[in-house]
Amino acid sequence: MGFSNRQEADKTVVEIGEARLDASQATPFRDYMFDLINQGQTQLVVDLSQVNFMDSSGLGAIVSVLKQLGDKGAVELASPQKAVNDLFDLTCMDQIFTIHPSVDQALSGKPH
Amino acid sequence: MTDKASQQPSQTLTLSIDSRLEDTVLVAMAVRGVCAMTAMSQKELNRMELCVVEVVNNAIEHAYQGRSGHRIEVELIYSPEENLEIVVSDYGSAMPEEVRPENKKELVVPDPHNPDTLLASGRGLAIVEKLMDHIHYQSHEGRNSFHMFRAL
Repeated sequence: MGFSNRQEADKTVVEIGEARLDASQATPFRDYMFDLINQGQTQLVVDLSQVNFMDSSGLGAIVSVLKQLGDKGAVELASPQKAVNDLFDLTCMDQIFTIHPSVDQALSGKPH
Repeated sequence: MTDKASQQPSQTLTLSIDSRLEDTVLVAMAVRGVCAMTAMSQKELNRMELCVVEVVNNAIEHAYQGRSGHRIEVELIYSPEENLEIVVSDYGSAMPEEVRPENKKELVVPDPHNPDTLLASGRGLAIVEKLMDHIHYQSHEGRNSFHMFRAL
């Protein structure tokens, strides 16, 4: 449950241990990510493999991470389930974020 | 037997939850269950869940300013071979005219070269507008209802 992170190569992999990244989780997730950024973690990979539902608030939290990083770093996404992929597609956010089929591929730098 | 006589009557499920974001999952699961009775694909079912969650979130965050302890009602009106209507009602502040469905806003297509298009909020109802066949909003005697229709 909740969020956790680990260092792999030169990146920080953030695991979302929640099935739903919705409005009730958006603020805790954003705060967790902002804390990492404030600690100097700026190459972020978000592991979405356990998330089977995301709403616009969850998406907004990820967008706010991207904006917080600005040109100081990068946030990439990995292993989204179908419903989450569909949300990124519907909102054209798949054109903004680099989305990898797996964390391993995110770490090796191979995009979708 | 006439066509009208052969139509199955509609069935209604009425739910109510407290105005807590954590409780939207209860409505979401009920919607998934009813949608699973139809011929909707898994993708469509996911989208119906997304729409109802967005509208319930909107009621909690705007009609009740994020405060718990208030009532949100959800009606699912299933008319086999016709449509599924979902009505989300609250008793809080009515939706401002400029954001109601009749004054719909298109989803902002993000431009990677223009940070102003990378919005962190404000997409919910535009997503609902895009995915549902028809939506409308009414406010009457302190009860605000957001109606969503999906043809079957």
